[in-house]
Amino acid sequence: MDKRRRAILIAVIIMAAGLAVASAIWDGHYLLLSAVAMTLAMTPLFVRFERRRLEPREIAMLAALAAVAALGRIAFAPLPSFKPTSFVVIVAALVFGSEAGFIVGAVAALASNLFLGQGPWTPWQMFAWGMVGASAGWLRHTRFMKSRIGMCAFGLVWGFLFGWIMNVWSLLSLPDAFGWELVLLTYAQSFYFDLAHAVANVLFLGFFGLSWVRLLDRIRKKYGLLESRSVRR
Amino acid sequence: MNAGGFAGLHPLVCFIYYAGVILLGLMLAHPVYQLASLALLTALLLLQRQGRTLARSLPYYLLVGGLFAIVNPLLSHRGRHILFYMMDQPITLEAVLYGAMMMMTILAVLLMFVSYRVVMTTDKFMYLFSAVLPQTALHAWMTLRFIPLFARRFRQIELIQRSRGIDMRTGSPVRRLKNGALLLRILMTWSLEDAMRTGDSMKARGYGTAKRTAYYPYRMDRRDRATLAALCALLLLSLAGWREGWGLLTLFPRMEPIRLGTLEWIHFALTATFVGMPILFETKERYRWKSSRRSA
Repeated sequence: MDKRRRAILIAVIIMAAGLAVASAIWDGHYLLLSAVAMTLAMTPLFVRFERRRLEPREIAMLAALAAVAALGRIAFAPLPSFKPTSFVVIVAALVFGSEAGFIVGAVAALASNLFLGQGPWTPWQMFAWGMVGASAGWLRHTRFMKSRIGMCAFGLVWGFLFGWIMNVWSLLSLPDAFGWELVLLTYAQSFYFDLAHAVANVLFLGFFGLSWVRLLDRIRKKYGLLESRSVRR
Repeated sequence: MNAGGFAGLHPLVCFIYYAGVILLGLMLAHPVYQLASLALLTALLLLQRQGRTLARSLPYYLLVGGLFAIVNPLLSHRGRHILFYMMDQPITLEAVLYGAMMMMTILAVLLMFVSYRVVMTTDKFMYLFSAVLPQTALHAWMTLRFIPLFARRFRQIELIQRSRGIDMRTGSPVRRLKNGALLLRILMTWSLEDAMRTGDSMKARGYGTAKRTAYYPYRMDRRDRATLAALCALLLLSLAGWREGWGLLTLFPRMEPIRLGTLEWIHFALTATFVGMPILFETKERYRWKSSRRSA
């Protein structure tokens, strides 16, 4: 198992363990603990990015990708949840790998929120979009993600998963009421938004996924960006 | 620095304050504490001239928080004090209280963020962010700079492509989607090639040869240090009291009375001083302004 996969696995495990500890031991402070667990889960991924020595061209390119993703969110703001942001993050991750995917997703969320307004949702969105990118990069060499159908399925799943991650905090804040009714209620009220997100992902990835991957791949090869190097600080 | 009042303090001090308010907001669960926090935060927002913003967003905030207050008693039936029955389900006082407390927690966090947006401007946030994660911060800075640039470029592309009949505003939804994605694609290629040039120019100016430095107008002066120390001390005392069980209303198995004990009153005062700290700075600013006008 390579290091990159390990970092993502550690992130997921910490998140899951944090949630488990939160619900098991610390009665009543689920919200706080979930926030702490989520921060801890992102830390190794950020540290990995920090320790990587990047060429200025690579940073500029990652920033451009994040800006296009964030711009998609701001430009499409009148249409709730119908945004090409996840699409850009997924495509970037498919070409440049999970680390780049994570950082593009997380920074796109952070930067667009600096325009749209920060709130308690910012870290959750950073985590969710970061994970969209990280998981897409993780699967990028599989046959599944190279096919149109596979990409669409991936986008569909993440459309819903993204909303579900954002729902976690509202579930955790009412531990006594926790049960299938609360779960149903929470997911029903976010269903329309999740569906719109999923449909947007499927449409964008289905129509333009492969051509964008080719486009970015050409740029990656032409300028030799983010090739695996062993140089580390 | 021209920002007066609380916003004139060092970003770290402001950040510690907001982090502390969130922490206390999530940890303390007692109606008296929460009502006081809400009142103090509202007063702070009014002093920071955010009354209009508050009035605009309050209905939405109340809706979000109110949902919690309503859903909890309907789904949770823990507790001994049954108020009434609704559709054969007991509605308990404890569940109602818990829902109300959760609503106040959420309201406090949302109100705090209104003030946070005023005080912690982007450059202050990035100043702190770059101290912890320099490379990520540089990446975020460049993204922030690219967003308005790309927005202008996008409009330019839109105008030019419209003359070729490629338009996002007319035609069937599929047509619009395709055209929108085409415009985005043009933006992408243009911007990536441009980013290569940006990268080259950074390299030519010696990026990566030494530690990156930047100028920030923030200095930690004596007032900042004193405020920071006071905030930290108050926060620690509050948290120590929380471990004693103060500021927590025990609902299960048996509900404790809402009234505070003597020591708990002291703890309450400490917590309220922490949450109300910026009000001191804001009122001092107001007073100074008024008295300077009077003497002139």
